[in-house]
Amino acid sequence: MNLYKYASPANFYPLAGKMIPWFAIPSAILFAAGLYVGFFIAPTDFQQGDAYRIIFIHVPSAWMGMFLYVLMAIYAGIGWAFNARLASMMASAIAITGAMFTLLSLVTGALWGKPTWGTYWAWDARMTSTLILLFLYIGFISLQSAIDDTRRADRAGAVLALVGVINVPIIYFSVQWWNTLHQGASIRILGKPTIAAPMLAAMLIVLAACWFYSVAVVLIRLRCIILEREQNASRFAEVNA
Amino acid sequence: MLRWIVWRDLTLAWRRRADILSTVFFFIIVVSLFPLGIGPETQLLRSIAPGVIWVAALLASMLSLNRLFANDLQDGTLEQLLLTPQPLFLVVLGKVLAHWIVSEIPLVLIAPLVGLQFDIPGETLLILVVSLLVGTPVLSLIGSVGAALTLGLRGGGVLISILVLPLYIPALIFGAGAVEASIIGASPAPHLYLLGAFAIVSLIFSPWATAAALRISLE
Amino acid sequence: MNWPDLSMGGYGFYVWGSYIFALILIVGEVFSLKQRKKTLRQQQNEHQQQMSSSVSPSVLTGSANETTS
Repeated sequence: MNLYKYASPANFYPLAGKMIPWFAIPSAILFAAGLYVGFFIAPTDFQQGDAYRIIFIHVPSAWMGMFLYVLMAIYAGIGWAFNARLASMMASAIAITGAMFTLLSLVTGALWGKPTWGTYWAWDARMTSTLILLFLYIGFISLQSAIDDTRRADRAGAVLALVGVINVPIIYFSVQWWNTLHQGASIRILGKPTIAAPMLAAMLIVLAACWFYSVAVVLIRLRCIILEREQNASRFAEVNA
Repeated sequence: MLRWIVWRDLTLAWRRRADILSTVFFFIIVVSLFPLGIGPETQLLRSIAPGVIWVAALLASMLSLNRLFANDLQDGTLEQLLLTPQPLFLVVLGKVLAHWIVSEIPLVLIAPLVGLQFDIPGETLLILVVSLLVGTPVLSLIGSVGAALTLGLRGGGVLISILVLPLYIPALIFGAGAVEASIIGASPAPHLYLLGAFAIVSLIFSPWATAAALRISLE
Repeated sequence: MNWPDLSMGGYGFYVWGSYIFALILIVGEVFSLKQRKKTLRQQQNEHQQQMSSSVSPSVLTGSANETTS
């Protein structure tokens, strides 16, 4: 079977359409399962009471924010290096979903911080780095929406995403450094809650749910992007015919 | 070739001296706003000084990035530069070097005066200058990537800021950290070494990224 | 299966708030995508109506080669 034909947006479009329900439905089931385990089976935490149950959505969304950024950079890089339009479109499709998960992790982190440490926002290394990650997403999205020419937008986005991806470990390291120096002012996370098996299971199930959800949503958005570019291209061709 | 580019950019900048001065004035004004907004209490000012001065340097650098490529784009020189047989990497390096000399060095020189406004002790003023000396190349180098990516786009300065300011954060942390360490009596050396390392990494990778971005923007 | 304490030990605002926010984001994203798709479909339909209603022969031969999705 010649898989390469799916590298063309026109051919991938129907395939993507068929794939979507295979990811959307399991995603809903996994969310339900994960939350069931998290709320009905996992016990109340000794230290934090029931407030800790936020982690079942907080940790997966933080991980998704990070994974999706790397994935976005990889697709953008492939699109640029191999002149593969579909890969670039994939990167653009991922961006908003990745930003949303990052935002979700910041908000849920803040809501977890208030009952646990007494403050909505603590400038600890992870939270600060996540905030900066959100800025990087916003930069990518802003740059692409500011450029009308899709070819330029794809490639400029690729440069930015790759520069960003290299910087993420540097930024994380420097924020951690900054944090350990300012220990007095910041609030330290006194270790993770001891992870009992049902808690870990719930987190992992919700993480899987997030992955399936992301694939479904990104494919939907990708199809919209394919249609938009197709329309713009045909309108352009008509005007110049 | 490198020398020629640097010399050319310096000459052109000299003809537009007002632009250079405006960057410095912006820096001074922004720094002066903070005491006005926060209050003149010396202890407080001394504690916020490293961060405030460094952030003002970041913002002033942001504003000057436009000058890097925009003028050459307008008169067609940029396209010619892309066509020369010399590696674009070198052209970019030359322009960034000229930009650093023209836009960042004045900030480094003015910094001690500004530092006095915040009652920073003498030895720390020296560390402030050193940290800016080591850190400002990073601002020019990383800024050049943003300038190349946003060449000719509407949204101008704000768009560059959104792209580049997050990438400036490590420089800010180590630069301001060095000054703050000096104020509290700790050694600024580790901060300065890390800042230096970051500068070297930027020096190696940014011109290449900027060159790629220029080709993308000018196609 | 033990029913959890629905008030979450008093932390209900934080826990339920988090999940409700997540739900809002998810529903918002899916909804906005549906809107986007709908707009595109409408535009495509209008476009195809325009193409089929115009009488000029050169335009018709052009549209015979259009790719359909």
